[in-house]
Amino acid sequence: MSSPTAFRQRVSEAVADERVVRAVHLATWHKVDACAESMRQLRDPEAIRELAAQIKQHTLENLPRYLEQFVAQVEQSGGQVHFAPDADAARRIICDIAAQHGAKLAVKAKSMTSEEVCLNDALEAAGVRTVETDLGEFIVQIDDDRPSHIVTPIIHKDRQQIAQAMARETGCEYTEDAEELTAVARRYLRGIFRRCDLGITGVNFGVAESGTLCVCTNEGNGRMSSTRPQVHVALMGIEKLVPRLRDLPVFLKLLARSSTGQPLTVYTTLITGPKRADDPDGPEELHVVLLDNGRSDLLAGEFAEVLRCIRCGACLNVCPVYRNLGGHAYGSVYPGPIGSLVTPLLQGLDEHAELPRASSLCGACQVVCPVKIDIPGLLVRLRARTRSSQPLLKRVAVRLWKWVMKLPTRYAWAQWWLPRLLRDCGDGWARGGPGPLGAWTHSRDLPIPPKQSFRQLWRKRLSDER
Amino acid sequence: MNADQNQPWNSRAWRSELPPGRAAVTAFIDALRRRLRDFESRASLPQELEQAVRQVIAGDDLPARFTQAAASVGLQVHPASPVDWMSVIGDILRKHEAHSVVVQLDTDSPLGKRATDDLGNRLTADGFAPTTAVDDETLFSADAAVTSVAAAIAETGSVVCPSGPGLARGASLLPPVHVAIVHASELVPDLCDYFDGLSAAVGNSPLGPASSSSTSLPANINLITGPSKTADIEGILVTGVHGPRHVHVVLVSP
Repeated sequence: MSSPTAFRQRVSEAVADERVVRAVHLATWHKVDACAESMRQLRDPEAIRELAAQIKQHTLENLPRYLEQFVAQVEQSGGQVHFAPDADAARRIICDIAAQHGAKLAVKAKSMTSEEVCLNDALEAAGVRTVETDLGEFIVQIDDDRPSHIVTPIIHKDRQQIAQAMARETGCEYTEDAEELTAVARRYLRGIFRRCDLGITGVNFGVAESGTLCVCTNEGNGRMSSTRPQVHVALMGIEKLVPRLRDLPVFLKLLARSSTGQPLTVYTTLITGPKRADDPDGPEELHVVLLDNGRSDLLAGEFAEVLRCIRCGACLNVCPVYRNLGGHAYGSVYPGPIGSLVTPLLQGLDEHAELPRASSLCGACQVVCPVKIDIPGLLVRLRARTRSSQPLLKRVAVRLWKWVMKLPTRYAWAQWWLPRLLRDCGDGWARGGPGPLGAWTHSRDLPIPPKQSFRQLWRKRLSDER
Repeated sequence: MNADQNQPWNSRAWRSELPPGRAAVTAFIDALRRRLRDFESRASLPQELEQAVRQVIAGDDLPARFTQAAASVGLQVHPASPVDWMSVIGDILRKHEAHSVVVQLDTDSPLGKRATDDLGNRLTADGFAPTTAVDDETLFSADAAVTSVAAAIAETGSVVCPSGPGLARGASLLPPVHVAIVHASELVPDLCDYFDGLSAAVGNSPLGPASSSSTSLPANINLITGPSKTADIEGILVTGVHGPRHVHVVLVSP
């Protein structure tokens, strides 16, 4: 899927696109402030994060019995459960459900899991028109683009691009006004909601004790897609479970705060089974498709904690790498720090060996993570697994560095040579240099080490005092 | 301890043996259980959540907390008494120049069994066209909807609208204006109070056998915290994407 050269190519292109970089910068800074402010409203944010991490970890470590309970409860409430071992199976199961009902028009709420399995293409190929109904995802779809953020998919687009796409697709008058554009989308999608016969949503949390699906949206696309069509399909990663309904507030209080800085998403929808006999409206059938797609391989391993992720997007917003690249450069459905873990772990390390290295390991992601995933620590461990795929020169350099660092005399010797070899650009920083050193200093700040080392100063001071 | 070490990295061998259809679910869970057989769970399920999670306690001034929280997410709260709540609703509808109004009140709500009839008569007398019909045509064309709630959460300013007999999910979703009637006795302090109540209604012990009680929950419950919102276009906040653009709460206190 992605070679190191292709990755570097994408990165260079992303950095060069000033319009995108500026848009992403503005949006992420704003969100970081809003999220920090809303976390401060909590009486004890640290304790809630700790609880959230513990509940998720416990659920993952006991996943078979919680899955069993969840499945039994979904069926008890009249829902049907399917299991998809991989993306291909998920596509097939959902296309089969569509075919059984002769569905022609599907509406989709925002769901990263459905992006992960490339559902839209499969449905379209099966003759089911599939319409994204989250405003951002709708614009992505009509502009033949890809989402660049897991919460705000068109963070990379400015309003001119959006206005052009909307005018082209809906035939509306060209406008750059956000209110008017939203109103156009509302009218257009209402026509779709009126006629749709299949609804597809993701799931934010599945509750084992009751078989309840919790879907959080701000626009109402989750409600529309699970209310209007006669058949509702919920695609859910097996890691989305929590044991009890009373565990939900722990996560709900963190999710919206971490993702947009709201105390709660506008609509927190709890779905327990399909429409009941005496309900006036709602879907006649509810299908829950449990997706593995590599997740079960991580359970009980050293990377199990990435499965705690609740996809809030906080780590993307604070990440200096994400902020300067946007999401597309990562070349994966899940961008940013968590994506650099999830993508190689779920889809294969060989194809995404560069992603764990697309991080400065500054640790900002870990600080904001609501479920306390040690993202930098895991990135380092993942890097260790791809050592052999690194260029020879880099491996030799690291060996040399290790050899030098192991003995004080070698270290002192290197310390004497380094300031004499590096070229000072006049401002105390080293830039350029022979071969790979030039490339290295191109994107990193390397101060010129002082001519006298600490050890020399210390020795001098001791002898002066004597 | 580390199950990964006993198996090849990225083992996908067992997947090809999965049976088709529903049997795959059971087969997968069994395979997972065998795979994790030797794994020792270290993280226990925390029992005491409230101490860390609770923001609002029962002793707080709940109507005041609710009003403040609701206002901050863009809900408009109108205090009313058991005597004047219907005229408060009329005023709101008039302000939005609404004519056709979908009414969905729970017969078990503290407003009383006759509330639907009373409100219907009153709205008709005031020149509105109230209806309890919830067919597509009505829901998509109505100017406003008036609903009861199952609860309201003081901490977050949320109103809770469940589905049920005579309670269409589309009512609080499709018309551009939603008026929710909250009786002060329906206020709960904190999100955790509401969800504790749901857990109790289900009555399962977390790891116990499945009971038939999941149908004791409504099929659909919505915690509504503000008008439908988006900030997808350049981060500009716009209300009324798919759901109502205006959400009013009539808070009835004795």
